[in-house]
Amino acid sequence: MNTWRGVALAPVVLALALMCVATAAAQSDEGKKVVLTVGVTSNSFDTLNPLVGYTALDYDPWINQYDTVTHKAAKDFAVQPGLAESWEASNNGKTYTYKLRKDLKWSDGQPLTAKDVAFTINRARKEAWQNYDAYVHNLTARVIDDRTVEVTSSVPDPKLPSLGDTYILPEHIWGKLSPSKITKYAAEDGVGSGPWTLDEFKHGQYVRMKVNPNYWGGQRPIDEIVYRIFNNADAMVAALDKGEIDAAFNVPSEAFNRVSSTKGIVGIQGNQGGFDEIAINAGSGLKKPHPALLDRRVRVAIAHAIDKKTLLDRVYEGIGTVAYTISPSPDPAWIPEIPPAERFDFDLAKANKILDDAGYKDTNGDGVREMPGGGEPLEFTYYVRSDSEFAPPVAQFVSGWLKKIGIKIDQKFVSSDQLGPVIGKGDYDMFHWAWTPYVDPDQQLSYFQCNQIAKASDPTLYNNDANWCDPVYDKLYNEQKVELDKDKRVAIVHKMLKRFYDTAFYQVFVLSPDLEAYRTDRFKGWLRQPADVGPVIFSNSSPTYANLTPVASTSSGGGGTSTGAIVGVVVVALVALALALWFVRRRRTAEERE
Amino acid sequence: MNLRFVTRKVLAALATLAFVICFNFFLFRVVEGDPVANLFRGKNLTLEQRLELRKQFGLDGSQSEQFVRYLEQTVQLNFGRSYTTNRPVMSDIWERAWPTIALVGVSTLLSTVFGVMIGIVAAWRRRSKADYGWTGFTMATYAMPDFWLGMLLLVTFAVTLGWFPVGGITDTGSDATGLAKLVDQAHHMFLPALTLTLAYLGEYALVMRSSLLETMREDYLTLARAKGLRDVVVRNRHAVPNALLPVVTLIAINFGFVLSGAIAVEAIYSWPGLGLLTYDALRGPDLPMLQGLFLVFSAAVIFMNLVADLLYSYLDPRVRTE
Amino acid sequence: MSSTTVAASPRSIAWQRRRRALAQAWGLYRRHVPGMIGLSVLLVVVVMALLAPVISSHSELDVVNTVDHQRWASPAQVPPLGTDDYGRSVWAQFAWGARISLLVGLAATIIAIVIGSVVGIASGFYRGIGSAILERITEWFLVIPFIPLAIVLAAILGPSVRNIIIVIGITSWPSTARLVRAQVLTLKERLYVERSRALGASTRHLMGRHIFPNVSPIILANLTLTVPVAILSETTLAFLGLGDPTRASWGKMLEESFKAGALTRDAWWYYLPPGLGIMAVVLAFTLIGTALEEILDPRLRESRR
Repeated sequence: MNTWRGVALAPVVLALALMCVATAAAQSDEGKKVVLTVGVTSNSFDTLNPLVGYTALDYDPWINQYDTVTHKAAKDFAVQPGLAESWEASNNGKTYTYKLRKDLKWSDGQPLTAKDVAFTINRARKEAWQNYDAYVHNLTARVIDDRTVEVTSSVPDPKLPSLGDTYILPEHIWGKLSPSKITKYAAEDGVGSGPWTLDEFKHGQYVRMKVNPNYWGGQRPIDEIVYRIFNNADAMVAALDKGEIDAAFNVPSEAFNRVSSTKGIVGIQGNQGGFDEIAINAGSGLKKPHPALLDRRVRVAIAHAIDKKTLLDRVYEGIGTVAYTISPSPDPAWIPEIPPAERFDFDLAKANKILDDAGYKDTNGDGVREMPGGGEPLEFTYYVRSDSEFAPPVAQFVSGWLKKIGIKIDQKFVSSDQLGPVIGKGDYDMFHWAWTPYVDPDQQLSYFQCNQIAKASDPTLYNNDANWCDPVYDKLYNEQKVELDKDKRVAIVHKMLKRFYDTAFYQVFVLSPDLEAYRTDRFKGWLRQPADVGPVIFSNSSPTYANLTPVASTSSGGGGTSTGAIVGVVVVALVALALALWFVRRRRTAEERE
Repeated sequence: MNLRFVTRKVLAALATLAFVICFNFFLFRVVEGDPVANLFRGKNLTLEQRLELRKQFGLDGSQSEQFVRYLEQTVQLNFGRSYTTNRPVMSDIWERAWPTIALVGVSTLLSTVFGVMIGIVAAWRRRSKADYGWTGFTMATYAMPDFWLGMLLLVTFAVTLGWFPVGGITDTGSDATGLAKLVDQAHHMFLPALTLTLAYLGEYALVMRSSLLETMREDYLTLARAKGLRDVVVRNRHAVPNALLPVVTLIAINFGFVLSGAIAVEAIYSWPGLGLLTYDALRGPDLPMLQGLFLVFSAAVIFMNLVADLLYSYLDPRVRTE
Repeated sequence: MSSTTVAASPRSIAWQRRRRALAQAWGLYRRHVPGMIGLSVLLVVVVMALLAPVISSHSELDVVNTVDHQRWASPAQVPPLGTDDYGRSVWAQFAWGARISLLVGLAATIIAIVIGSVVGIASGFYRGIGSAILERITEWFLVIPFIPLAIVLAAILGPSVRNIIIVIGITSWPSTARLVRAQVLTLKERLYVERSRALGASTRHLMGRHIFPNVSPIILANLTLTVPVAILSETTLAFLGLGDPTRASWGKMLEESFKAGALTRDAWWYYLPPGLGIMAVVLAFTLIGTALEEILDPRLRESRR
């Protein structure tokens, strides 16, 4: 009779019944396989094609699959034998002849010879493969014999003999692809020379690699590496806690401190030289900033008004280090020391005094200083990247501090995509962004040359986001570019960076590390690159994988949900009871109402 | 229900869809940005490489060229590539549609059923304690931001009591299949579904209540009672079915809001559906993704409105004679 | 209530009548218990918002000023509502945030009501192509799901209080328009309108004397029911990260508490108060609106006997 109750009851009871059966939640199978599971957060892998993939995480699968002619030492990126067991310099260091190991094989059994090396280098140079170009731009390779390849650079190149970033591809597969097809190739064939090769790439879910029995260094003791993609960083951390994954990359900052203090888990602050800066428009681009900012005293005052330590503690959760100059490399040798006397330390009184002495007074009492002689107020546009975790809170702090020295900040929220063109057009006063350098400092240093500033013909094409031009810097840059002696080169670079720092245009304030964590009860042999300060995974050449050995046999727990079942039973009982009572009452009142 | 009526309604729906498609394009064009520069920041791309990438992302060509290309692609269900994952937007949307359909479907069903039941009780016992109690309850749940309710439920039942998982759709470690997997998913879906159900049943209850109150005043009910039929029969066989009509329209109207509400609720529970996809796409903003999602959401709402319109006219013959 | 006025002009008679009607309505309203509850709650919130600078310290909202404050302090440690992840006073955010939530709610509603009423009256009163187009546009806007549209608009315009008001206003007018249009259509059917037209009454006369006075109660009731929707919309937009990042609002408090992990930290003082505040304001307006509906719609009133 009472169809309503029937209709209502059915879905409810069904749902609850399903949940009561929940005790049968499956356990995952006890594999005899040794599996290393690494958690990463979403938007990680775009394509596994080493020519065009651009997400930072693509590199570890490439490193695992495509071995390189030389390796980079975990300790300090020093050049080490890879596919090549030795090499010889000639021609004033412009030519290196590499001797490959004996009996190298691809994972599909085909021999790996100098032909593969030459094929990769030459085609990469000819076709300007996106991810290879910076390394092979000046290189030509020549096959001497099956195990010997000669690589010549047209200009002295301090990066040589390192070929650690040039992933050697199998010619018998990639050679068949035309220049237009090769950049669209999905690269899921799983043929490589590294310790592991691709087994399965499920977009948005995981990347699975299987061990390569043909690896020249011997088959590694880890049968599978799985990169599991999590939609949500907290879920990833929970999975690490529970033991469902063995390591996690990009642990969110507020979880990091908690995770690191958990027993059995090690938190790693992996310094890759990544830094954050507040950039002031240096005015050499398409548009000049507010005139006050072209006065070095104002910029110095701003620098004195920013408390880097507080930013580090409050916004970056204390994770990282205070920085002063840009860091052009994860190798700390390249970063100059700024003596305390030359640092712009946090001192609001000093900042105020500098501005007072320079004549920027607040003539109309509104709390904002004006140009000397009572002109434009000191109001600067400050671009905040809304898609950054750190930019908005940093902007809050900067805005608050600058208010205390009489400078007004007009915060403009844009996405990183939108900020790019703004910088190119020079249409800003200040912004907050970040860089992560490569191992060789040349790349990062190259950005701040005069010729890297945006031109009117295409304001979106630029690398010099400081809009800064200094002929002396450019001259020094060209010197370090061909300096083969490391110490001399370091000295030149230090000079360049100190010069840049002194202008107070590009105010670097933190070195921001990658946050990682791993369990100690699964695998041992985690290597940091560089030693002591670097990350363990997703480092520059991630040598840790080949070094890991299992501690015990892996077992992942499947969750039983017995509490869920109990709750389900109780709820069903209560609902049934309530409904029963309702039935009874309705019957009675219905009769009364007759 | 004659064919002309149906055709007219369908054509109107298609016209609305066409409008939304064009509107979609212009809306997003206004947001200027260079995703290529951002994605490849730090990689020294040559001019040719940059132009090639811009072409891949569909960012070259004049406005009208882009518009034509956009129309062609939309018809083929090609919404371009996501700025963040570089995968076709459609494949991401397709994968994540089912969790949202399940969540929204179950919630709508439960909130309609329970809301209607509560509305009936409240109307029938007008101004009794039960009426005030239920009306108060539904008003309270309706007044809460749906995601705030989600936060409270999450904290109470998942974080503190641990009865339910803190998020996601399955236990990440398990390889369960079949029934066990379904049960696991249901377990994960309980709290988000409860949140959406509670958040929206208030409206159904209130509408049902007032609609039933109006219907009860109608003459034919007095006649039925005069004939000596029991109250319950009068209510269930006569009043309620007629009073249900506004509820049908409400389901359609609410659908848009439930979808929107699902965005925040999915974010709270990390439920991997279209809502979470939208929430993540906002971080960028991943414009192609947002554009595709906007279209999908609008199309869904248009479709639901059409269904509700047709259903309503089927149930209420008075409407058909227009 | 004097009856010894000088020869009263028609206008002053009309005003007297209006005042009496108003007093009558207020008398009715006063007896409506839920309506009075709603009104008092709203008054409390408004007073709190207005007195925000007095009852809390504005400097507590600036992260720079709370650098040495304890973070995540519970209300026991830092009364009355503890601190957040930057050491800022939650109570200050709550008091000042009320301003934004109320301001956005009211301002957006006014925009929505004005646009909606104009469109509704125009499309209901006039016949022909113009009215058909207006009706189509209303239908179209009703279909477009609110949040995605708001997201896009916020992305274009940028997140500021002014833009959020515009966004919510622009996306909320269709339901008012539809309601007003239906009412105008019903009114047009009434005989006296026909008769007035036959007698040669101008459109202005019809609008002023017949249409508008009969539509305004509906608009008023709709206004009080739209404000909660606008407030909830602001909350949702702020939660999704589209609110004004430089101003405290209840929605922003919820966003920050979620992002900063207040849920797992059990920092209930950060996410409970704003939610309760929103609930209170929304309920208040809903109760007021229901009371107004009952008072202004004679049919509903009769059924209470």
